[in-house]
Amino acid sequence: MSLRVLTQDSADRGSQRCRVGLGLMSTHGLNLGSPVLVYIAGGTCLCTAWPRSDLTEGFMQIDLKCVTPNLIAQPSLKLSLGPSQLTPLTCSKLRHIKVTVVVQSVDFRKKTPLHIINELVKDMMKGVYVRKKHVVNVEDWDAEIKYVVVEEVSPDCDDAGLVTAKTSVNIVGTQTQRHFQRQLRDKPVDPLGGLDEVCASLREMLELPLFYPSTLSSLGVSCPRGVLLAGPPGVGKTQLVRRVVGEVGASLVVVRGPEVVGSRPGESEEALRAVFARARAEADEGPCVLFLDEVDSLCPRRMGSSAPENRVVAQLLTLMDGMDQSDRFLIVGATNRPDSLDPALRRPGRFDREVVMGAPTQQQREAILGVLCGKMPLAPSVDMADLAQRTVGYVGADLGALSREAAMCAIRHDAQRSGGQEIDMSHFQQALKTVLPSCLRSSLGRTDLAPVSWEQIGGLQDVKLKLIQSIEWPMKHPDAFMRLGLRRPRGVLLYGPPGCAKTTLVRAAAAASHCSFLSVSGADLYSPYVGDSERALAQLFQQARACTPCILFLDEIDTVIGSRSGGESPNSVQTRLLSVLLNELDGVGFKTLERRGTQRVLQAEGHEQSPADQQKLDYQEVCNKDVMIIAATNRPDSLDSALLRPGRLDQIIYVPPPDPEARLAILRVCTGSMPVDADVCLEELAAKTELYSGADLEKLCKEAALLTLQDEGMGACSIKHTNFLKSLDAMSPSLTAQQINTYQTPLS
Amino acid sequence: MSSEMSIPSSLALQQVLRKSFQHLETNQKTWHSVLAECIPLVGSVGNLAQQLRALSNVNIPNTPLQAFPDLQQRLHFKLVLALDIVLEKLNEKLVLLQSVRDSHSNQLMAAFQLYERDADTLDLYTCTQRSPVAPSIADMLEWLQNAELYYKQQFLKRKTLLHSLMPDDLSLLESTPERWDSLETSSGEEYITDTLFRVSFFVESNKGE
Repeated sequence: MSLRVLTQDSADRGSQRCRVGLGLMSTHGLNLGSPVLVYIAGGTCLCTAWPRSDLTEGFMQIDLKCVTPNLIAQPSLKLSLGPSQLTPLTCSKLRHIKVTVVVQSVDFRKKTPLHIINELVKDMMKGVYVRKKHVVNVEDWDAEIKYVVVEEVSPDCDDAGLVTAKTSVNIVGTQTQRHFQRQLRDKPVDPLGGLDEVCASLREMLELPLFYPSTLSSLGVSCPRGVLLAGPPGVGKTQLVRRVVGEVGASLVVVRGPEVVGSRPGESEEALRAVFARARAEADEGPCVLFLDEVDSLCPRRMGSSAPENRVVAQLLTLMDGMDQSDRFLIVGATNRPDSLDPALRRPGRFDREVVMGAPTQQQREAILGVLCGKMPLAPSVDMADLAQRTVGYVGADLGALSREAAMCAIRHDAQRSGGQEIDMSHFQQALKTVLPSCLRSSLGRTDLAPVSWEQIGGLQDVKLKLIQSIEWPMKHPDAFMRLGLRRPRGVLLYGPPGCAKTTLVRAAAAASHCSFLSVSGADLYSPYVGDSERALAQLFQQARACTPCILFLDEIDTVIGSRSGGESPNSVQTRLLSVLLNELDGVGFKTLERRGTQRVLQAEGHEQSPADQQKLDYQEVCNKDVMIIAATNRPDSLDSALLRPGRLDQIIYVPPPDPEARLAILRVCTGSMPVDADVCLEELAAKTELYSGADLEKLCKEAALLTLQDEGMGACSIKHTNFLKSLDAMSPSLTAQQINTYQTPLS
Repeated sequence: MSSEMSIPSSLALQQVLRKSFQHLETNQKTWHSVLAECIPLVGSVGNLAQQLRALSNVNIPNTPLQAFPDLQQRLHFKLVLALDIVLEKLNEKLVLLQSVRDSHSNQLMAAFQLYERDADTLDLYTCTQRSPVAPSIADMLEWLQNAELYYKQQFLKRKTLLHSLMPDDLSLLESTPERWDSLETSSGEEYITDTLFRVSFFVESNKGE
């Protein structure tokens, strides 16, 4: 039998009564006024049992005077309850309670002395049954005190306790109603993965002045009050702030740049002042964070003398300077273009600290995926580490999209067949195809390449091995590299006669290692404006570094990058590009903005880094540090010698024209998809095709197939040996012995 | 068996309840009279506030009274002193109200303690049995509780009103009489009167015995 919940009578308001039928009371062993705990809507309500005045069964009226906090935020009651949701409690008289008082206004809190509040609370609480962690609603008293949160009771027990005249009341804190309700509302915060360090540093700044004000004042230091979060879009800057604020229980005042900008002169400044005043008022009630999202739009670099933005910038600067020690709020700015901020903003006293949040590293990605997929039903086949390795260049938002897409795939899949709803690796693989990393989205070298496996390239075993050594090994066996003190090479130069699979080799290398892959040609870089090409190249490197491990492929590098020794004028675009490339390859260091991953361990956390952790980090460094350059050329002699020294393009690999064995392998690969007659002798063909390059051999096969179609009509189903010989007669090799000779002389 | 057993304890409880309601009647009378005495006092608070306002508005050196030295300060002092005296008296009344509240609370507590002591022998059906002349025990306990809540709330509201008064906040002082009056809720008063009517037969029945 279920109980229908009715609204309570007005006479019962504030009486803490729970009206039920007599039968229910006697089955639960309840007397008049004995305390009973009612479980409703995810919380509990402490009441005293009382019979209904009409003595009917099957109905229930509850006075929500003493409830768990979540019921205050959402007082919607279910319309029916089961009798099992009532639990009778024993009751003891309390000696002592500790409470937090929630008052209506800041004024009352400031003006009223604590002993008077204490007296009022005591009067209000007398005769009320309370329980630990419950909130007593005293709104119906029409006083300034709205809620009393019971923090601790003594004697400590789980049962109900009665507050009597002899109970001493200890007020541990006061809060305003607004603050209290916001705290209740903002409670559920999604966890964040991989941002623990940044999170801890932000929390430290918020909590230190709050919990240890006397320590700070005795040290004579002022606490930092400004943090600038910089990082590419989607890494979770805004979410981080919301999360920390939720954890600390601070209130949040958000300023979105465009919101405060008004059309009339002076309007924006006024709006900005109002925002600071609001933050100041909030800070009176408790810790407060003023969050300037997209601060670059609010505070751009000042230019000229009378632009209206300048006044807004000046206003922001003065407001941040004008905060005095008593203003206990923290300013957090977030931007993805810190360089466009006014430099005056980035000094201690305004934004004291700058926290760079780069694109997540592999470990961070694993943590993020762990959080994102925490609530999803995953099949055991899903390997988070593998997924993290494949999602190079994905930021938090991308990973969110990825997991959502995978879940959608699973739903679509499940709609077709009934069964357990599980997300397995194939769903993630499908999602990986549609969700691309946003880091590279606007990059100019972003290429979609059809994956090529090593087996699809015939011959060239030595070259393949060298490429695997320099690209795949550092990724897959960082521990071995660390142990032997090896570093992955900075760059690889592939040279050799045209048509010998240099580009295909790179494609295979990119597909085999799950790196991000950028490919640029001269067309991407050249521009009619002076300096534009150099900037494009530098930007390309910057983007590549943001999503390391990354392979940057410069095809036909001889045309893109010039040589200083040649007859060209020393100031041509090519030589300038060369200098940029040299710098990027072997520069002094990173820009601070490109920092990624974990840098420091907070002292305050008291957390010792174990050697194993350290080693793990080091491994990560090996594969995360660099952008790898792969260049390909067929004119190695026209390259600048500075480019070829170790430390820049240090692996120089000659891709030779195929020897007979290699030619045979290439022919096998090429004819793999063709129906060839049994009499076709590939060995003979391989022997006859001296000086043919891989591309030539592919063409030979194509020609033979076309000849077959030409001779036998469209119904032809196999290619005869004669056709191969015919096409061989019609072709001439593209390489010459002399050409090959020039490649074989060692590079100077 | 059990009903025979419970009769004596229910009789004892009824006796206590009867006494409580008699007390409630006297309490209610005291409460009323104290509140009636408060009305002129509260009125004079408002009056004094108005006088203080008038004093602050007038500029004495511009009037014929300029010959008197420090007149403004002296007058201000006198008025504040008078205000203090009135507030002191109001505080005394407040103490009376508090004693009414406390005595009622004690009555209720005594009744409840008796009920809890005998709760094992008093079954719920006996407690909720009504007769033409007497309401049930549950009803009577409930009414007493409601009356207690009413007294507590009324007392607290008046106390906070007096506590919130500041000598320098004139507008608050001026509005005191209206706010004091607005605290009076007719429904609450009526509830207690109603209760007393409802139990009148029950209270009287004892006197006849």
